[in-house]
Amino acid sequence: MALKQVLALLLLSAVIGVAINVISPNGIPLVGKYRTLSSGEGPIVPPSAQTGDPPFIDINQAQLEFEVGGSVFVDARDPDEYLCGTIPGSINIPFENLPEGDLGKYFDSVLSGSSHDPTLVVFCSGEECDLSLHLGRNLRHYGYGNVLIFFGGAREWEKSGLEVERKKECER
Amino acid sequence: MRTLIDNDYLTMLSRLLIGGMYIVASFYKIIEPGSFAKSIWQYHMVPSSLINLMALILPWLEALIGLAIIFGLAYRGAIWWANLLLVVFIVALSATIVRGIDIDCGCFKAGTSATGPAWKALVFDLGVMLFAVQLWMSRSRKWMFSRA
Repeated sequence: MALKQVLALLLLSAVIGVAINVISPNGIPLVGKYRTLSSGEGPIVPPSAQTGDPPFIDINQAQLEFEVGGSVFVDARDPDEYLCGTIPGSINIPFENLPEGDLGKYFDSVLSGSSHDPTLVVFCSGEECDLSLHLGRNLRHYGYGNVLIFFGGAREWEKSGLEVERKKECER
Repeated sequence: MRTLIDNDYLTMLSRLLIGGMYIVASFYKIIEPGSFAKSIWQYHMVPSSLINLMALILPWLEALIGLAIIFGLAYRGAIWWANLLLVVFIVALSATIVRGIDIDCGCFKAGTSATGPAWKALVFDLGVMLFAVQLWMSRSRKWMFSRA
């Protein structure tokens, strides 16, 4: 008797769960594309990092944020580099060319398409570049609570064989 | 001891506690399966091809268990699941603590540090387990839709 109920509860959950997922706006694919974990080297953290900086994430975590969705990827490099190849769907906030005036308002307008207090994954090209760190600090300063820094950047992303979005052809 | 375990009021209290906990725990997971999938991934225990399926099915299982226990429907099966899942959660949390993986448990809410460190969740689950075991042993079948 109990066994029948045990199986019935599981079956019912599976049917409801999968059915709701089909119509839900927050639906996820039935089989996710999770990369096999690398040897656990951990995220790349720049020497200039200070305590209190936003958390640094590694390529696995970055890919997870990407696959699962809901996070906004922010490319901190110049528009030229951004157009030449970036993480698909990311938006560009070039840290070296921020507009004059109220930065908070600027950030809000650029990020207005996303949810309230979104998870922001900030990156630039890679280890030699600390634009992501500076932009991350600034975003935090202006009230964005969920900032993550992917310091491996676009280069580690591409090196890992992940999809790159190229908005224009460039010499590489 | 036996009379205490079989006490109708204590059993009802345990049903409300355990059932309520499972229902509350299922909320965010049902609304945000993506975040819950991330939480599962962080445990590094489930094969990656099964993570999303688990993220879709487990929350509904929790919700159904909660409802079944409170209303007394498919009761034995629900109690069986309630205990089994608690054991699984306790094992998973213990393993992450032993392995030193710093994660948020993903038990009740998504996101970082929303529910505190894993050891707190472990202590909570061990406490809840007491009530779950009481339900397992109790022969009280009062205030139920179905006595089966």
